[in-house]
Amino acid sequence: MSSRIHVAVCEPSDIIRKGLVSILKKLTTLNIDILEIINLTNLIPLIIKSKPNIIIINPSYIGSLNLNTLKKETRLPNIQYIALQTTILDTQLLTQFNQVINIMDSPEEIKEKLIKLTTTTIDTNKKELSVREKDIIKLVVKGMTNKQIANELCLSIHTVITHRRNISTKLQIHSTSGLTIYAIINKLVEINEIKDIKE
Amino acid sequence: MYKISEYTELDSMSDLINDNYSILLPISRFGISLGFGDKTIGEVCKENKIDTKTFLVIVNMIINEDSQIVVDSTLSIKTILAYLHNSHKYFLSFKLPKIREMLLNSIGINQTNVAIVIMKFYDEYVLEVTKHMQYEEKHVFPYINSLIGGGKPKDYSIDIFRKQHDNVESKLSELKNIIIKYCPVETNNELITVLFDIFSCSKDLSYHNDIEDKLLVPLIENYEHNNK
Repeated sequence: MSSRIHVAVCEPSDIIRKGLVSILKKLTTLNIDILEIINLTNLIPLIIKSKPNIIIINPSYIGSLNLNTLKKETRLPNIQYIALQTTILDTQLLTQFNQVINIMDSPEEIKEKLIKLTTTTIDTNKKELSVREKDIIKLVVKGMTNKQIANELCLSIHTVITHRRNISTKLQIHSTSGLTIYAIINKLVEINEIKDIKE
Repeated sequence: MYKISEYTELDSMSDLINDNYSILLPISRFGISLGFGDKTIGEVCKENKIDTKTFLVIVNMIINEDSQIVVDSTLSIKTILAYLHNSHKYFLSFKLPKIREMLLNSIGINQTNVAIVIMKFYDEYVLEVTKHMQYEEKHVFPYINSLIGGGKPKDYSIDIFRKQHDNVESKLSELKNIIIKYCPVETNNELITVLFDIFSCSKDLSYHNDIEDKLLVPLIENYEHNNK
């Protein structure tokens, strides 16, 4: 499964919002976490609190609060904004957004648009483990600390931590005991090398 | 008939369960026996001395994950605690040991190296869950009981719990992902059944956590605030 994408759907109409949300939930190849925002009056604090990656919002409801003020006040420059277009709108207004979803879009079109916005996060998931990353897994499952691994491989602790983070993202395995299973299946280590297992 | 809107006390209990069989789990945790006939949810709750409103909030949380949880001071904290306590008992004394037994019968039967490390993973996981739930039983629940009993316990507050309460199902989901993604074991009926059980147990644990985080914690926060 790819890494999580947090999407906030801001649309007061139940019919439109629930419809969009049910389409998003069916895009199972994308790992989407959805926050529904119904009442737009407390939009800014909600955005600051939840820090979504993508906000899907109906431009008609932003009203006096235009997109630039929204971006400025939330101070979260990495959020991507998608306009949810339910009526004919000024194209000038729509150019402020990173992407536009029209209510006549098919689920496939919506999926494609989301993928375009998130390509960077999806790419990292397809990579194979590097030799160095495999070396690190071997030492992790033997029970070594980050510091010991750094010494053993002549790396800085910081580099070891970065490698471990990349391993977790690529394999979607976050615990040491999970990595142990992976290492045994892929014959990276022998069973008697593993910490806490005594034959 | 599948209802999108929330269930009320006037709906029939047997309809509720036929529409959503996952409600069988909370039914047993509330200590309700089957054989409802045509009784309504309200009638069954009253007979079993369970606060109907609290029952409905928990049931609706499970049926409709997106529902807005209204934290209302008239909800029965005692009922929620009893529910959570029974649910701890279910996971620790029944479900998690049952899954272990099935894992052992499906993957563990040949004592391969992969089986050894999978069982090690599982046993460590169960130990974590046990610690997590025992902490709640030993510290959080007694604190709440003393609070609603009119005491003013000084040594704890629900905020401590809120800050350190982590989700308990993600590691179980991880195990299932590892098996599905990386484990080249031959599928057999036992293995598929245990995977089904892991899926449903993860979901069940996540509802359990939601009831603690989204219902119990805000309720106690309000209670602490109003009884300062």
